[in-house]
Amino acid sequence: MRSDIGSKVAIVGIGRALAKKSDPEPKTPLQLGARAAVDAMRQAGIGRNQVGALFTGRTPQSYMVLQYNQSLMNELKIGPTFCSETTNHGAGALGALEVAALALDSRMIDYALVVTNEASGIWMDQVGSNASWEGDLQFEAAYGSTTPALYAQFACRYMHEYGITEEQCARVSVENRRWALDHPHAAMRSKGAISVDDVMNSRMIASPLKLLDCAVWYPGGIATAIVLTRADIARAKHEEVTYLAGFGQCSTHEWVGERMGGWGYEPMVDAPDMIRTGAGVSAIQAYEMSGLGPKDIDIVQTSAPFSFVNLMILEELGFCGRGEGGAFVDSGGVDYDGGLPFNTNGGYLSFGQVAQGLYNLTDTIDHLYGRSEGRPVKNAKVGMIHGHGGVLACHAVVIVSREQLQ
Amino acid sequence: MTGMPETQIDWSKGVPLTAGNYFMGLYQPSPETAGFWEGVANDELRIKHCRDCGRLWHPKRIVCTHCGSSDLDWKKADGRGEIYSFTEVRRAPTPAFAASVPYALGLVKLVEGVFLFTRFFGAPGTIRIGAAATVDFKVLELGQKLPVFTVGE
Repeated sequence: MRSDIGSKVAIVGIGRALAKKSDPEPKTPLQLGARAAVDAMRQAGIGRNQVGALFTGRTPQSYMVLQYNQSLMNELKIGPTFCSETTNHGAGALGALEVAALALDSRMIDYALVVTNEASGIWMDQVGSNASWEGDLQFEAAYGSTTPALYAQFACRYMHEYGITEEQCARVSVENRRWALDHPHAAMRSKGAISVDDVMNSRMIASPLKLLDCAVWYPGGIATAIVLTRADIARAKHEEVTYLAGFGQCSTHEWVGERMGGWGYEPMVDAPDMIRTGAGVSAIQAYEMSGLGPKDIDIVQTSAPFSFVNLMILEELGFCGRGEGGAFVDSGGVDYDGGLPFNTNGGYLSFGQVAQGLYNLTDTIDHLYGRSEGRPVKNAKVGMIHGHGGVLACHAVVIVSREQLQ
Repeated sequence: MTGMPETQIDWSKGVPLTAGNYFMGLYQPSPETAGFWEGVANDELRIKHCRDCGRLWHPKRIVCTHCGSSDLDWKKADGRGEIYSFTEVRRAPTPAFAASVPYALGLVKLVEGVFLFTRFFGAPGTIRIGAAATVDFKVLELGQKLPVFTVGE
């Protein structure tokens, strides 16, 4: 059944706070989150007493307190009606927007504040810690699993079943890097362009994933805060209004080893596999809600931490057919010159990964209003953002639009 | 890999912020997995089995999600299977595993139709999709005995 909530909720305030590991005073996620939240409220022109809901993504790995949302609420001195984490891994960042939209559309509140923040690049050994978070402690981590090794299981099957080549995957790394060279905050901005050969010759991490197939950990911290309200309030009281035209979410598993024991639900109705993800289910929801299709999307951001995941997600989001991700990329589908504007800040591979679901969303909104920090995408009116977390476990897709659709 | 460069402000008062080894230290069997590890201790690979509908599950199950039954027990696995997916790990997650690289990790499909995440052992080039593999039990880097699979019948 098609939801009628598309474009009934809008973004009216954005705040961002970035920190580098090399800063003289390293920042915590809470420091960055509070700064971004206050800036978003200020931009929206709302006071602390108007915040009806506070939703955070999952607790920052570099600030592991129970109920992180309460820590942030305490810092902001607000009294929300709804206050919660949205914890489906990295998908919780965009997923929190869905929760906010439902709360707003029900008219229980007028304004929702959504904040995501992470500074693991400043405080943590992300290779060691993430390996333990992504693997089942009893049945996977004890074997010496790493994040790339877990994703590599998907790469192995995806390449086997569809004949996807390492060179096709490498091409996404190359194109992502080109966008990063133009973006002031991209981790790999100063590292120069790379070629398919560079990717192919980079050292093996977990076959078939080589160093330049892998996301770089963002060497710092990023917080992003967003204020949302209902479309009627947005039009009446706010200047810059960006509509949530469509959104969707889908989670399929927790551990890789458990995934193959699950079926009977979308997207694995008949049997489990290592290819179909919740991104496709999320995209269908978002498209149906917005009344749009892939051809209507001007700019796309994914949360793909490995090059092959970009190909899979391009398929899942409907930009090419199942198994055609390699051919799509080969034919220039995501080329910096003339392709679909894709991962326009460099993506996880070259901007860096720090659970920045909402950052990618606000970066996209910048393009819609012609104020992008990196290379501009001209005449962009509609953007799609994909967020995911766990090992291809939890997915969220959001479509934003300058115009109210429906 | 302590996670905190020396140049940084010590706001955690010296408590290391690395979660990796610490989290692995939290490994412990839970009520629904204790029987699996009891089997491993005796060099026996066990699969969770639903006594009502006959379904098999790995690595654990509390309620049979096929029929809803809680009447589950353990069944001894045949021990043979084939490689479904694999990777050769070149960069270890923590120092404990660094001396072992490269090593192969992946999913094996047991003859019973159940999938397991495991370590593969085999001569170079023999670890590939569809290759037959047989269970073995080895003490791995963390000092824990685990079911692993060796290429070959």
